[in-house]
Amino acid sequence: MLLFLRRRFLFFFFTYLLSSLTIFFLLRVLPGDPARVIAGGREATEDQIAEIRAELGLNASLPEQYVNWLGNFLGGQWGDTIAFRGANNYDLIIERSVNSARLAAVALLMSVPLSLALGVIAGLFENKLPDILISLLTLSVVSLPEFVTGLFLINIVSLRWGRGELAQSLGWWFPASSAVPANASFGEMLPALWLPAVAATLTLLAYISRLTRAGVIEELKRDYVRTAALKGIPWRAVIWRHVLRNALLPTITVIAISISWLISGLVVIEYVFGFPGLGSLLIAAIERRDLLLAQAIAMVTVTVILFANLAADVAYALLNPRVELA
Amino acid sequence: MAITTRSLLDVERLTISYEVNKRWIPAVRDFHLRLRPGQIVGLVGESGSGKSTIALALMRYLSGNGRVESGGLLRFAGEDLLRKSDAEMRRLWAKRVKFVPQNAGAALNPSIKIGPQVAEALKAADAIDGDAAYDTMMRVFHDVRLADPERVAERYPHELSGGMQQRVTIAMALISNPELLIMDEPTTGLDVTTEAAILDLVRGLIAERGTGVIYISHNLGVIAQLCERVVVLYAGEIMEEAPVLDLFQAPRHPYTLGLISSVPKPGQSKRAAPLQSIAGNPPALTRLPGGCVFAERCAWAIDICRDKRPPLEQLADKRAVRCHRWEELSQPHPPTPSPRHQMPAIEIAGRGTTKPIRRPAPDAKSATEQAKSPSIAMGGDLEGGWQADETLLRADNLNKAFPVPRSLRELLARTAPSPIRAVDGVDLHLRAGRTLGLVGESGSGKTTLARLIIGLEERSGGKLELLGMDVRNHVRDRSQDVLSKIQMVFQNPQNSLNPYLSVRQAIRRPLIKLRRFSPAEADAEALALLARVNLRPEYADRYPDELSGGEKQRVAIARAFASDPDLIICDEPVSALDVSVQSAVLNLLAALQDEHGSAYLFISHNLSVVGYLADTIAVMYLGQLVEVGEARELFQAPYHPYSEALVSAIPVADPRHSTARILLSDDLPSAQNLPSGCRFHTRCPRKIGEICEREEPPWRPGDRGHLIRCHIPLEELTSLQSGSNPLEKAD
Amino acid sequence: MAEDKPGQAGDFSRVIVALQGMISAQLRHPQSAAGTLAVAFFLLLALFGPQLAPYPKANDQRHDPRVPPTLDIGAFQLGEHPFGTDRLGRDVYSRVILGAGSIFRIAGLGTLISVLAGSALGLFMGYQGGWVDEVLGRVIDALLAIPALLLALVLVGIIRNLQFEAGSWQAALADNVILLVISLLYIPIVARVARSTTLDIKTREFVEAAEIRGESKFYIIFREILPSVAPSLVVEASLRFSYAIFLVASLGFLGFGARPPSPDWGLMVNENRGGFYQLTPWALEFPALAIAILVIAVNLMSDGIRRAVQKGA
Repeated sequence: MLLFLRRRFLFFFFTYLLSSLTIFFLLRVLPGDPARVIAGGREATEDQIAEIRAELGLNASLPEQYVNWLGNFLGGQWGDTIAFRGANNYDLIIERSVNSARLAAVALLMSVPLSLALGVIAGLFENKLPDILISLLTLSVVSLPEFVTGLFLINIVSLRWGRGELAQSLGWWFPASSAVPANASFGEMLPALWLPAVAATLTLLAYISRLTRAGVIEELKRDYVRTAALKGIPWRAVIWRHVLRNALLPTITVIAISISWLISGLVVIEYVFGFPGLGSLLIAAIERRDLLLAQAIAMVTVTVILFANLAADVAYALLNPRVELA
Repeated sequence: MAITTRSLLDVERLTISYEVNKRWIPAVRDFHLRLRPGQIVGLVGESGSGKSTIALALMRYLSGNGRVESGGLLRFAGEDLLRKSDAEMRRLWAKRVKFVPQNAGAALNPSIKIGPQVAEALKAADAIDGDAAYDTMMRVFHDVRLADPERVAERYPHELSGGMQQRVTIAMALISNPELLIMDEPTTGLDVTTEAAILDLVRGLIAERGTGVIYISHNLGVIAQLCERVVVLYAGEIMEEAPVLDLFQAPRHPYTLGLISSVPKPGQSKRAAPLQSIAGNPPALTRLPGGCVFAERCAWAIDICRDKRPPLEQLADKRAVRCHRWEELSQPHPPTPSPRHQMPAIEIAGRGTTKPIRRPAPDAKSATEQAKSPSIAMGGDLEGGWQADETLLRADNLNKAFPVPRSLRELLARTAPSPIRAVDGVDLHLRAGRTLGLVGESGSGKTTLARLIIGLEERSGGKLELLGMDVRNHVRDRSQDVLSKIQMVFQNPQNSLNPYLSVRQAIRRPLIKLRRFSPAEADAEALALLARVNLRPEYADRYPDELSGGEKQRVAIARAFASDPDLIICDEPVSALDVSVQSAVLNLLAALQDEHGSAYLFISHNLSVVGYLADTIAVMYLGQLVEVGEARELFQAPYHPYSEALVSAIPVADPRHSTARILLSDDLPSAQNLPSGCRFHTRCPRKIGEICEREEPPWRPGDRGHLIRCHIPLEELTSLQSGSNPLEKAD
Repeated sequence: MAEDKPGQAGDFSRVIVALQGMISAQLRHPQSAAGTLAVAFFLLLALFGPQLAPYPKANDQRHDPRVPPTLDIGAFQLGEHPFGTDRLGRDVYSRVILGAGSIFRIAGLGTLISVLAGSALGLFMGYQGGWVDEVLGRVIDALLAIPALLLALVLVGIIRNLQFEAGSWQAALADNVILLVISLLYIPIVARVARSTTLDIKTREFVEAAEIRGESKFYIIFREILPSVAPSLVVEASLRFSYAIFLVASLGFLGFGARPPSPDWGLMVNENRGGFYQLTPWALEFPALAIAILVIAVNLMSDGIRRAVQKGA
């Protein structure tokens, strides 16, 4: 157990280091000059470039730059925002991250129970009607690109159906845009959240439910399920105690991995809905050539993902008696 | 008789089908069985005979694509099981009918501790919970002789050894005092020593409780040792049913006869005669022949056998047989079998055409050695007397230690963990043209030793010489010359051939690579090799998935012989094969050795098989050799106490044979934490005292180069063991 | 090394037999048959788009703007502008047909490159094992920790803004930046799949049999191991293709893919959303529908391939 955790933590640091190196070198090693990109690409003058170069410390050696950069990142010194005058990268990213986290949390709350349920049902009814319906659903509607479902939700559900009498009388709000103020509270934001969250839910649904289904089918074939059934305990108990317990354990890891998915999906969804999150900030940053901001956003994302994976592995290890051997 | 005795289980005309590609295939046809309380009936058959299907059908637990055809009868204690609802079946499973599966490791839920898992069964059976349940559980754990039951209950399944896991499943089945117990190969996959212990346990527990048992096995020895009546299955049909003594003494069905005589008995040797074997393979269930299912492989088959399916005839002496010619065959002078089917003949026909058969003993080069010394000698002080002149392979102090990653505590304390010493100081001399058998339980290091010699594993220490040349450590560093001289036949025929290469390609490659044949030469030689392993030329263009297990192994043998090696390492080459196919492969190996003069290092957990094929046997325990001697000496006193236990544990396929078994505990000490002194002292039934724990035992030489590594002098061992020689009784 | 000529054709003939089996299994299953046929249909559009489109010039603005669709499904009539025209007077029907070419070219080539390179890398890592595998494995993990879309956006954002000499290799690279990004993103993913399958196959005894006759590493990897790894690579390739289509469409939508006036579906959707949607809803809906159908079709096809392979295994 301890051995496993130690190994896992070492992996975490190693992976973190490598990821940050990747992000760092994306901006340094690629053909071309980052200072020129930031200064405005082809139109920039040599003076502007030289100024930015000095400002970013680009004249130091590469390893030196990397160490400085990583140290600054870990210390919360993420520099000034170029894309939005007067803002500071750290504050901006934190504010937007909170918004994205709210959106992600709502999406996870909706999608995880739903996709686990769908996966379990499909698995228990392998190749029967419920399974076929669920698999058609997850292969088709649910796996469309986020912008297609997002636009559908905005233009059809919200703009067309949301104006209908039924929706009006229910009093439920259908925002065509989720462009709320970035510093709104959770309560204020909630009405704007749920439609993008539905879009994000769909992103995860196919992935989690399919893996859950596979896990359930695999467990059902195990010898110990037969042993349990032949003990004469009710089938319900066999499913709960023996099948689901073992089948759902790995979904902890699956959910952690799906966070990386979710983040990709959120970039598109926030853009479509105009939601003030980290994803729309990233697009703005890249459009406005603010590479430092983009870099910081990438680092934040990677940090979140790696921590989620680490937490999932640790939780898995704690819950699974077999890991001790690893 | 049948009317007066209360029967526990009555099965009549049971036909079970499986759905494959939308067609229902009858996997078991017309099955009959009657079981009285307290009786143990054995179901014996090879793979595909339908025995596990029957087990599940009797439990009414067929998988979704299986069904019992209507018209059959399945009655348990007077009740018709086929009409029971699921809820009623569940009540029966809870209390009265229990199942013990094969592979206990997989049959226990890995994420629940043993205690709660067993308690679950108890709760379903008797609705008892809490302390009363715990006490009952402890009592049953004690009954199945689980050491330290309280701690076992606190463990997870993966923390127990295979033998202990199987004891747990037996405990789980017995905890409700069932009336009927169905055991599906419960000892398959366990070591002989563990198997012997479990069989003893089952025998004792059944006698106490009066449970009716259906015991399923492919192993005739196990059946002979345990069962009262035996049902022989073949391709889904009963071939013969009889009381165990009658069956083994006077089998009525040609299949039974073939099966019994294809198992080597302990002490039987290739020098005496080739093994009997059954030609061919079982029919595919999708294409069953119209007549007798066995006709195609039967040496006595005549026209009627191929045209008309024989009925299951009830004989006077409580026997039944499904054969048209059983009466003729049971006469004092039975008709002679058709020559095509005399397996030994076909084996010899395949090999004897080009070269005369050479038996090891009269062979010029080995005759001199024969008189002098065994092919194996140990290092150290014994070296001088044991120089063999035709040494093919010589290993000195071979070692293999697998490193273990450090734990956190060791990391902090800056100590290194002790490595797993899989092979620890083994000396071997192998002579040309001879067979060295290597036996030992799983975990003894025998496979690692073989892999060190072939170079698939890098040795941590020691020297290896082939014909006086130094042999490099890893196979990648070895010269073509060395590579072509040592080849290997692997255990699992399923995996030893590349599924995407045809038989021809598999055999050609070593010819081109190691013998530098031109493609045309290689093609011709490949066909010649196929002929020598008794496969027809059309097999050249088949792919592995079109071959049976035995055929695959023949191709693997042909491939190993392609480079004309001096040494072939055979790692359990027949253990994955069915009994009737096993003997043909053993005969083939013996015949090819005569022809090529190659030496074998033959590894097996099956002592009878090793005894049959080997000239010399080495017994391995926890990375060391403990006894070395000529093959027949392994089965005679004096033994090393470990060999003695191994020999006594052999399930002999003869119900008259009985042994005072020397039972060993299930637990093989960890190779990471080896016992001090004599490695065997923790389990040794003949331990003499502190010296065994303190000092490494010396090699004690006996007659004709027989060596035993034990503190007990040989004379004393002989006198201790002479009373319990299992083989003398069998003879 | 003596070469094994006559046997060569045979090595992969078994793979081909297996593939044929897969295709026939594919067609027996209604969903996957429908998916496969739809993908084939789009492939035809991609290959012969310029021949099939009524107005094969990408930026042909000579029509009346904002003409509603003339397509009448009930009457089986296409009409002058089946999908209408956009606000700039371009025939949407033609643009949708023409758009199939770029998405197939980028997604297909990207999949091909990443599967070839990723398989080679994964096979090598898996067979070699040891510290090489350990280090490369960690690098792959690190790359995969960065979400695909994020990495793609950053890469495209940077490369787009760089200035290169016309005709230089860097410029060629910049022109195909999406293709490059897809290949880079998917090579590690494919490598991981190939590696884990290789690890499994490597322990099979036929590989050891090849080792003990002294076969070269190259021979063992490509002749002994590859055929057995191929089925899972086929599954992975079909999966990669469906994600590549997804990614190309998303990047196009975000404005990081093809540039206007290219008839890229994602781009068309983005150009006609928001206020323009009220004006010419069809200019958004038809390309979006094309994306939806293609994604679903590719998903159904790849699901069928996966099922067929798993059944065969």
